[in-house]
Amino acid sequence: MADFTLKEIKTLEYVRPEIEKGYTDHSLHIDISSADIRINPVDKMVKEKFIGGKGYDLWFMWNSVTGKTRWNDPENAICIASGPLGGTPGYPGGGKSIVTTISPLTGIPIDSNVGGYFGPYIKFAGFDVLELTGKSDKELVVLVDGIESKIRIYEVSGLTDDSYELSMKLTDYFDKDKPVNISVVSTGSAAKHTELGCLNFTWFDAKRKRVRYKQAGRGGIGTVFAHKNIKAVVARWGTVSMKINNPADLEAMKTVTKLHAGEINTLDPKQNRMALVGTTHLVPIMNDHDCLPVNNFKYGQHPEAHNIGEAVYEHIFDKGFDGCWRGCAVACSHGVKDFVPFTGPYKGKKVFVDGPEYETVAGCGSNLGIFDPFFILEMNFYCDTYGLDTISIGTGIAFVMECFEMGLITREHTGGMDLSFGNRLNSLELLHQMARGEGFGVTVGKGIRKMKAIFARDFGADAAIMQDIGMESKGLEFSEYMTKESLAQQGGYGMALKGPQHDEAWLIFLDMVHNFMPTFENKAEALHWFPMFRTWFGLCGLCKLPWNDIVPEDNRQNPEPAKVMKHVGWYADFFSSITGRKVSPDDLIPMSEAVYNFQRLFNLKMGYGTREHDTLPYRSVGPVTVDEYLSRTERYDKDLTDNYNVDITGMEVSDKVAVLRKHRESRYEQLKDAVYKRRGWTENGIPTVETVKRLGIDFPDVMALLKTHGVE
Amino acid sequence: MITVDEKKMEWHQGMTIRDVLDKVENVRFCAAVRLNGKLVSSPSFETTLIPDNAVIYILPLIAGG
Repeated sequence: MADFTLKEIKTLEYVRPEIEKGYTDHSLHIDISSADIRINPVDKMVKEKFIGGKGYDLWFMWNSVTGKTRWNDPENAICIASGPLGGTPGYPGGGKSIVTTISPLTGIPIDSNVGGYFGPYIKFAGFDVLELTGKSDKELVVLVDGIESKIRIYEVSGLTDDSYELSMKLTDYFDKDKPVNISVVSTGSAAKHTELGCLNFTWFDAKRKRVRYKQAGRGGIGTVFAHKNIKAVVARWGTVSMKINNPADLEAMKTVTKLHAGEINTLDPKQNRMALVGTTHLVPIMNDHDCLPVNNFKYGQHPEAHNIGEAVYEHIFDKGFDGCWRGCAVACSHGVKDFVPFTGPYKGKKVFVDGPEYETVAGCGSNLGIFDPFFILEMNFYCDTYGLDTISIGTGIAFVMECFEMGLITREHTGGMDLSFGNRLNSLELLHQMARGEGFGVTVGKGIRKMKAIFARDFGADAAIMQDIGMESKGLEFSEYMTKESLAQQGGYGMALKGPQHDEAWLIFLDMVHNFMPTFENKAEALHWFPMFRTWFGLCGLCKLPWNDIVPEDNRQNPEPAKVMKHVGWYADFFSSITGRKVSPDDLIPMSEAVYNFQRLFNLKMGYGTREHDTLPYRSVGPVTVDEYLSRTERYDKDLTDNYNVDITGMEVSDKVAVLRKHRESRYEQLKDAVYKRRGWTENGIPTVETVKRLGIDFPDVMALLKTHGVE
Repeated sequence: MITVDEKKMEWHQGMTIRDVLDKVENVRFCAAVRLNGKLVSSPSFETTLIPDNAVIYILPLIAGG
């Protein structure tokens, strides 16, 4: 007997649109305010230009919001879509969902690419995209039931906020006999009290008989979800086979699936071993190359980092298949069984932790000056349970810790808490406060940009130094890579459309370690090709890891091994086989370019999207403090003398810091010029009329928007 | 004798990772290897000694998260 109540307030029986060549060609719109449910055909133009996934999300959002819409306005939409290739069982990384909304942190569209079964199940239920708008007075659960062809909206009472428990209860409620038929999207209690809320997407792990999680983490999508008073959205679907997407050429699809999956099964054990250790192999590698963030990105290395890398987590992770989509050969979504938290409401109880991945290890570990793998597990567990983004939490708390150590904030402001680097208990206490909606945790939960304003206004903290050390751009917290020595990655973060997340471009090693792109033009070319190709995964419902984390044995003989062109060829074949739209590798970049530029224009529509918003905190560019300079004196001295022809004889360190800053900041501005030019943008970072016409996104409202900004 | 990417290679006393990579083609983008299952990163290539009968895999270009 369920200990919660669902009261059905709306049911729509529908004729399920069949999938044809990867598409249902229908969209589902639910207005939470009125419980209005609409099913619409997707226009042919939208299909051709926006492809699917993030492209569809952005198109429908564009038409739902105005330039004045803010995250907490009812018209703000949460869109979830897979893509034409999404839901193919056995294709590595073939089951992603892409989620977008107007972010509470940035005011512009945020997008997040997430595993779990939800996106594929929604498509199988008949919809290429789900759009949720409105705001309800009462907590609601939405069920999209593809088996019974019904959409049901319920008022819910008595259902816990804790995401694990909530997901398990709803899975049990909606299909007790076949829980694998259910995927639940939900957030948690902290999403109600912070702007860092994430969404948890489930799949049912049949072997372990429990729900598992992946997160649409970035940008506070969970906060928007909670604000709309949506408790959960549930998708239900049954049988999944290779024919599910009704591909144009089934045999060709099977062939390319077998090739890619076979290669990963053969080579992953010899390469990054992601099926065993996930992305935790990156921890020691980043540390060894001075790229692991330590103490709020102040340093890139720590002697205890080996305690939180693959060598440890390999032995902690529960053994077994950990694919977040059916039959994925990468299977990197590891977890820990029978972990016992030492704080909070689950103190002393055995729980399952989904994770950690590299980002959580670095953000909630090294960046806080903490090298305890079990502490990181507890942070991971409570972030998931409370519906919080581990990256923004890690980077946000790291900022607070540095402010505390610099005396910018004191115990008087933190409610008596010592928030020095390394303080494990108080880091966890901040999470519990966010979940309860009380104390200093609520302030931290507003994100770095708002914290900087609050600390300056209410506590008298130095705004300039906080601007330098607060690791946010566009309002979004940085993900967990040190970029001081890679100009290309500074661009990868600073010019990323949604803010500093690495999924657009990860160029640190090509640039810093291998010196593969010495000129501005080289870097600009990379900052064109890589963001465009990575965008393509989000259009199609795919994960990027199988592209370049496991590579062919002969890949290093390729003159540009970073592009892994053999796999790009497979992706073109995969796309052709399902959609029937014959494409070559060269065709994939222009597909993304249209959506990429549209998203940049969307930023412009929302009042951003120009050069001044592609800025970086200096901590990501060079040493802010004398301490930082002294920690890498040889490197910075060499930079001054060899690259900028500065005579440093007799110079004070503080003067060196200032001179280096002037040069490095100037270099970043030059990079912006080169990248904007390569992308076909004005010097102010706006797509030109020629660019939007070339890409076929010269819609009347786009042209009017450009004209408003003097681009004609 | 050692094994590098499943191919045999002569071993000698004092052999380092760098010595091995010098004998393999197209390793410009190698930033890490697995030596008997353990990761070794490029800053340690010159100083990491390889024992006889070691098994080495050259990892692909590091691609980030």
